[in-house]
This record gives sequence, C-alpha cells and structure tokens, in this order.
Amino acid sequence: MPPKNNKGGAKAKELSEANQENDAAKTQTVFERAQAAYDLTRPPYDKEREELGGLHALSTVEKTAYANWFCTAPDEYGLLSKKAQKELWKQVNETNRPLRRGQIDRPKPDQWGQDKLGRNIGDYTVQQYEQRIAKEAQLTCLKALGRSFASKRLYASKGLVDSSTGEKYTLTEDDITAEKDRRREMAALTKDLYGEKMGPYSTDPEWDDVVPVPQMEPEAALSAIAYPEDYAESMSYLRAVMAANEHSPRCLKLTEHIISMNPAHYTVWLYRFANIQHLDVPLLDEITWLNGVALDYLKNYQIWHHRQLLVKRFARSERAFVMEMFAEDAKNYHVWSYRQYLTRKLGMWENEAHGELDSIEGMIDDDVRNNSAWSHRFFLVFSNPRYADPDSHATEPDPKVPADFVDREIAYAQAKIELAPQNQSPWNYLRGVLVKGGRKFGSVQSFVEQYVQNLGNEETEEVRSSHALEQLADIYEEAGDKEKADLCWKRLGEKWDRIRLGYWEWKRRSLKAASS
Amino acid sequence: MATRTTDLAVDEEVVSQMADPSIRGSRLPIDVLYTSEPPIIDPLVTATSTAQDRTLDQCLPLLKAADSNIEYNANGVPHLHRERHIKYLETTLGNLPAPFVGADASRPWCMYWALNALSLLGADVSKFRESLIVTATHMQNKTGGFGGGFGQTSHLATTYAMVLSLVIVGGESAYEVIDRRAMWKWLSSLKQPDGGFQMSLGGEVDVRGAYCAAVIISLLNIPLSLSSDSPASVAGLADLYTGLADYVQRCQTFEGGISAKPDAEAHGAYAFCALGCLAILDAPHRIIPRTLNVPRLISWLSSRQYAPEGGFSGRTNKLVDGCYSHWVGACWPLIQASLRAPSQPAHDSGPQREPTPEFVSFYDREGLIRYIMSCGQDHSSKGGMRDKPSHRSDAYHTCYVLSGLTSAQHVVSAVLAENEYVTNMAWKVSPYSDPQLFDEQDRLNPTDPVYAIPQEKREEVMTYFLSKPGF
Repeated sequence: MPPKNNKGGAKAKELSEANQENDAAKTQTVFERAQAAYDLTRPPYDKEREELGGLHALSTVEKTAYANWFCTAPDEYGLLSKKAQKELWKQVNETNRPLRRGQIDRPKPDQWGQDKLGRNIGDYTVQQYEQRIAKEAQLTCLKALGRSFASKRLYASKGLVDSSTGEKYTLTEDDITAEKDRRREMAALTKDLYGEKMGPYSTDPEWDDVVPVPQMEPEAALSAIAYPEDYAESMSYLRAVMAANEHSPRCLKLTEHIISMNPAHYTVWLYRFANIQHLDVPLLDEITWLNGVALDYLKNYQIWHHRQLLVKRFARSERAFVMEMFAEDAKNYHVWSYRQYLTRKLGMWENEAHGELDSIEGMIDDDVRNNSAWSHRFFLVFSNPRYADPDSHATEPDPKVPADFVDREIAYAQAKIELAPQNQSPWNYLRGVLVKGGRKFGSVQSFVEQYVQNLGNEETEEVRSSHALEQLADIYEEAGDKEKADLCWKRLGEKWDRIRLGYWEWKRRSLKAASS
Repeated sequence: MATRTTDLAVDEEVVSQMADPSIRGSRLPIDVLYTSEPPIIDPLVTATSTAQDRTLDQCLPLLKAADSNIEYNANGVPHLHRERHIKYLETTLGNLPAPFVGADASRPWCMYWALNALSLLGADVSKFRESLIVTATHMQNKTGGFGGGFGQTSHLATTYAMVLSLVIVGGESAYEVIDRRAMWKWLSSLKQPDGGFQMSLGGEVDVRGAYCAAVIISLLNIPLSLSSDSPASVAGLADLYTGLADYVQRCQTFEGGISAKPDAEAHGAYAFCALGCLAILDAPHRIIPRTLNVPRLISWLSSRQYAPEGGFSGRTNKLVDGCYSHWVGACWPLIQASLRAPSQPAHDSGPQREPTPEFVSFYDREGLIRYIMSCGQDHSSKGGMRDKPSHRSDAYHTCYVLSGLTSAQHVVSAVLAENEYVTNMAWKVSPYSDPQLFDEQDRLNPTDPVYAIPQEKREEVMTYFLSKPGF
C-alpha cells in the first residue's frame, strides 16, 4: 500500500534518513528497509512521482528525466529506433538526472507473512526481524542435529558400523540427554516463532515410536470440549498406547500426567492399574502416590476404586506367596494362621472376588488328608461376617448360616470321605458342619452306615472307617438307642481303634451313668 | 519342630549294651496293637499317607523290640538311658558351639528345658543356681520381664522359661532376682482389650500368652490390678485375668481342640496352654466345663494317640512327635480334674484309695511309654530325647518327652488345696504300675500338671511370695 505521508511526514522521513546509521535500525520496519533499498534502485523523481500522485506534480525537467528513464527500461528501449536511442541519450545527458535501475522487485508489505499473533512481519523493526531470523537459523541447525540423532539411533538399532571409525554405532545416555535438551529448545523456538506448540510427548525421544491417535469426532458433536493442548496431546498418546496394549514405565508416567489433569478419567485409572500389574509396581510406592492424589482431589470414585484394586492385588500376591510356602510344607501352622488373619483383614471370604474357597479346594484335592486346609475351609464358610454370628462358638449351632451352605458343605465332606473313608479330617469336618448347621447327626445316618456292616457279628462284621463307627455311635446315642451306641464303642475299643480303649470305655460308662 | 532328616540317627554311635544277651531282641509277645499296622488303611496315597508310612517304617522295628543293638526289658521296653540324658542336658547348659546361634533369642528356654528335664531325672540342679542367677540378672530388663538374652526385649515365653528356671533351682536368692513391681507393670502393658496377652510389646497375641502370663502371675503372686497406663485398663478391663477365659474359649475349634488364636487349627500344644491357663484362673471342675466344650475336647485329645506308634500327634492327620507326650499327655490330669470336684483334701492321711478306673486312663499309657522308650530316646551315646527316630535329640524334646513320660508313669488326681488362696488345686500323685511295663529304676520324678516343674518347687515359690502380697 502506498505510504500516506504528507509533506511533513516526508520531511520527518528525510530527517530520519539522515540518522539512518544511528538508530534507524531500531525503528525502521522490515518493509521500510526493503522499500528504502528498492528506492535506491530507482531515480528519486520516480519515487517523487509516486509519492505525489502523478507526473503532473513534477517539474518539467523531472518530467523529461522520468520520460527518459522510462524509455531506457529494457523493454521499452529495444522498441526505439537507433536514431531515437541516440536522441534519448542526448536528452539524458542534458537533463543531468540519474538513471538508476536495479533488478529487485518492488517489495510488497505482506511478503514476509504473519507471525503467530497475526502481526505482519513486514511491520517488524529490523532489530526484531534479525532476532527472528537468528532463531530460525538456530531451529534449522537443531533440526539437522536431530536428524543426525535419528540416523544414529536407526543405525545403532540395526547394529551398523560407522565406516569412519570402524566401530558400531551406539546411542549413549549423553546422546539421549542432548537430544532431549535439543527438543526442548526446538519446542521453545517453534512455539516462539510460529506459535505451534510441540507438546512434551511429541518432543520426547522416548515417545518417537508412538504415533498419537487424535480425537476423531464429527464437527457437529455436542458438548464438545475445547481441550487444552496438553490434555489433547496426552490423550492422543494414551489412545495410541492403549490400542497397542502397551504396559511400561512411560505409560505409568503418562497416566499420572493425565490423572493430574483429570482425576475422574476412569479409563486412564483402569489402564494405570493394568500397568501396575504388569510392571509389578510395589504396593507402597503406588499407595504413597495415591495418597497425594487423594488429598488433592477429595471427592472422586476412581481413587478409591483404584485403592481397592491395589489391596486386592496385595491380597492375591500374599496368597500366592502363602501357596509357595505351602509347596514346602502344606501344614505350616504359622503360614495357615497368617492366611486366616489375611482373610479376615482383607475380607477374602467371598469366592467370586478372591477365589479363596477354590484355592482351598485345590489344596484339599492335592491332599485330602491335609487337615489344615479343612480347618481353613471351616473358617471360611462358618466365620464369614456377611452372615455368620461372630459370637457363635465353634462347637455350637449358628442359625445365621444359610441352610444351602450347610447342605453344600455336608455334600462336600461326604464326597471327600468316599475317597478315603479312614481319613479323619472330613469326618471331623462333617461333624462340625452338622453341629453348626443345627442338623441332627441322624440326618447322615444312611451315609455313615454304608461304612459299617453287620456290627457285632464276629464273622461278617465289616468296618471301612473307625471314624464312621464313632459317628454312628453318636447317631444312635442321639436317637436314644443306647445299646447300639454302646456296641459301637465296644467294638471300637475291642478291634477298630484299640489305642483309644480308655476313651471308648469312658463313653460307655458315661452313657450308662446318664441313663441310671 | 526340628526339620525332618531322611536318615535314622540311631544307626550311628549305637552303644552295645552290657546286659544279658538273652533278653535282647523281639522274643516277647508284645501286643500286636503296638507292633503292626492299624486294622483299616485306605489305599489312596497322598503326601500325608506317604509321610505316615515313612514314620511307621522307622518306628516299627524299634516298637517290635527288633533292634539288636538296644537293650529291652522283659516287656520289650528299652531302658531309660538316664545317665546319658543327664550328661546330654548338662552339655546344653555349658558353652554351646556357633551353630547354636539360632537359639540366641531362646536361651532361657534352653535353661528351663535342661533344668526341668534334669529335675525329672533326679539330677542335682542346685549346682547351677549361682550361674543361673548371674545369667538371669543380665537378661532382666528394668522395664520388667526377661529377654531371650542380654539386651533383648522382654518376651512372655522367655520370661516364663526364666521364671520357671529360677523356681526349679529355688531358694530366696534365685527368687529375689525377679523385679516383681516391674514385672507387674510390664504384664499390665501386655494385657489386651480382648482379654489376651501380647507375647511382647508390639508382638503377637495367642493362647501361649494366656498361659505364660497366668503362670508368672500366680507363681510370683503378682497383684492382679492393672497399672493405669495399661491398654486393657484404658479399655475398661478390671484386672490381669479379666476376659482371659473368654479369650481361651474363642480358641476352641470345631474339631474340639484348641488353636493358637481364634480361627486357626486345633493343636496339641495350645490345648495344654488353654487348660493350664484355665486351671490357674479357677478350679478345673468349675472353669473348664464353663469355658470349653469338654466332650469335644476329650474326643479330640483322645484322637491324638495313634497305633501302632503309641505316641501323640499335635493335630489331625499329622505325625506322631515325642514332644506331644507332654503337650497332650499333660492335658489328661487337667481333663480328669475338670470332670468332678475333688473329693478329698490333700492332707487327708486316711487309707490311700486306689484311683477309680475312670481316673486311671483316658489314653493308652502303655502305648505312650513304649513310644517314648523305644522311639523317643536317642539310643546313641549322645543321649537326649527326640521327636521321632529320624530326628536328632535336642533340649526341647528332652524336656517335653520326659515330662510326658512322667505323666504316663504317674496317676495325678486333683484334691482340694489346703490353701485355696495359694492355688486352686493340689495334686495327689501315685505311681502308675499296671502293668509295670518299665523297670522301677526308669521311673522319673513326678511333675506339676499345670506348671510343668516339680510340684514341691512350685509349692515353695508360691509359699515364699504369698508372704509378699505387695512389692
């Protein structure tokens, strides 16, 4: 656009031109400087003509000079005859005005483009512009170095040899640190120059291999949020690593970053937990971090669900170790006591959530005679605070235990008795279940009787389990059939469990004393 | 328990006996109950049955009196190697080699095991009095109680062991080592709001704590009131014994036995701790039926004895182990005392009535004695008692196997205490001799069924501190 200078302005400009050497650089714009340079490539009367708005404003001599100058332009000059050319040069000499002509185009005010703020760079002062140019040069340098880093990394990854040194390419920690510094600098320069923000991930060489997945939504999406750049970039990288099912320390850091921006983002919490599991992050480290988050964000579902997952994970890892101990000694009393403590402390009662009952069944399957496992099973079923009466003594009925649980446990014990009828553990268990469930011993009479045949008949008597015989005595005693009960104890003492004769005799005497 | 070793320790250093060769070997008609497999064996093989089979393999030759290197008496029972056991125990009171570093936190236990076993064997323990006093003094903490060694934190188990050791050597100078006021403060600090006792400050709570505390409190006549800073006092408990029986009650399991703490598995050692504790809190015939399901407990205790081994196991489907000769064996006098009120005072000098049959045996004494003499002794020149033949002898097993032996050799029945202020119960001891399985020379001194020390030593210390109701 043409300058709007009036005469006064022109005068002022002349003054400033006089001081050009000193401080013009401070105030002269890039466009002005280009314009000045352009002006040096043409005669002053051309500039004057332009500034004053036409030939009519020029003196006669200058009009002539202008016409001469015009005609000496390469395109025009060739159209003249030789004679006219001679005449032209004669006039030029007479007019005695300079005939400058340069090869540069007339500068356009917007030819430098706009900066990040929409300012016309042509309006920059020269000093500002030179600073900008220096930055651009610096950025170009950095990019070149970055390309060299990328090449080196590629060569190193392929195990190539540097022909100039004869050694394999290696990427050192210093290289990576330098690249990180470089990228930070590049990010700052890019932002400064072009307003293009390079986020921490796009500038981190650690994330070079990840192609971010930007949010894809139609223009018309409702409740669309103008995401802050940081958040948008982080989420793009999160989508990428989640899609790749990656679990790594950098993912953990990424989730921490996103949680710090949006702690209610349940997706990132669940993904974080998956990372914790894969990386086997120590519980206390995570809890310590979580404490800080919880104190920062007081009302939040995810923090507390995450904490629950951590505690469950701890419970699982504790049980895994306990099982490792049991592989050495499946009846280690200390370990079993700890397992009971753990069950209570961490609420590992329900099979669905923790598989504790399944785990115990596995141990009973391994060794159906492992009484410690049976004892733990009893504890699991009959001390579960969800339904059991906490004040119910182990040897008395607890009406709060659901009947179907009692049925299930009776069936379980019976199935295990069938595997090895002389195994006392399931017999003790069965008795314990019957008592807890408030069931009569007589309710299992037919089951028990199959292990005892023709009792008292010396020749045909068959007993497959002394524990069945003991249970049978209690069934008969309960039913008031004292003779049969007495016979069971008598036969136990005489033949089937003689070492306990003193006890069986005491039972017999007690029953007699009670009935007399 | 010691770790299981694979080989038989008895094969080494077996001493050739000087006795009449004619009574060696299995020439006797020993009841097949003790020499052959039980009448019912399931074919299913599991880890438990395999271990059980291995145990029978090592025990049966000894039980059959089939080991020609061992001298058996006319009933097929080996003699007690009394002198060797004494020598072995005295060794454990001397300087111990470096491998004993694992016992550094249990030295009072080593002393108690050795001194108590020596007392049972009739050896002179008074010669250890001065050195015990010196040792104990250095293991006592100013804040009360004894640690496992010099500079170690006080612990109920080591304090129990040290107090019993001092009581066994006896005498005022030994008793006066104990700082009773500090002991009272410390015990108060261990008392828990749930009635139980921590084993040490910040330590575990279990039924051992209940027993050890009751033993210490009753032997030393510690005032029952709680110190004001006790956590139990803050929680509103009245005294050191408040809620203790309730705690013990919560340790009975569905099997009838007693576990170390609520929720755990029934275990022989804890059955003894439970009954011992209750017998201190009140007379057994009152407190035991009130607290525990006695019929279930008796059934479970009775199940601890296996044939043909004859010895006791600690838990259902676990192996026989000599130490349960005491832990389970010592329960029987307390169980018997729980079944009826004592009928006669201790000082009744009327004609000694034979114990009624039901007071003789809930368990098979012959089986236990056979197991102890055959399998529970180290028959080598080393001496000492052991878990089972595949295990080495040690001080722990020597103490508790011998304790079990004496309880099998004597009928101990409760009688009214002359002074119920001193103790709830007095015990009348008569030798068990039907049949006389073992030679009279192999009879041990009797032991107190609650305190597991010689009865007269227990009476002496109680009498001494009865004269000191305060500090």
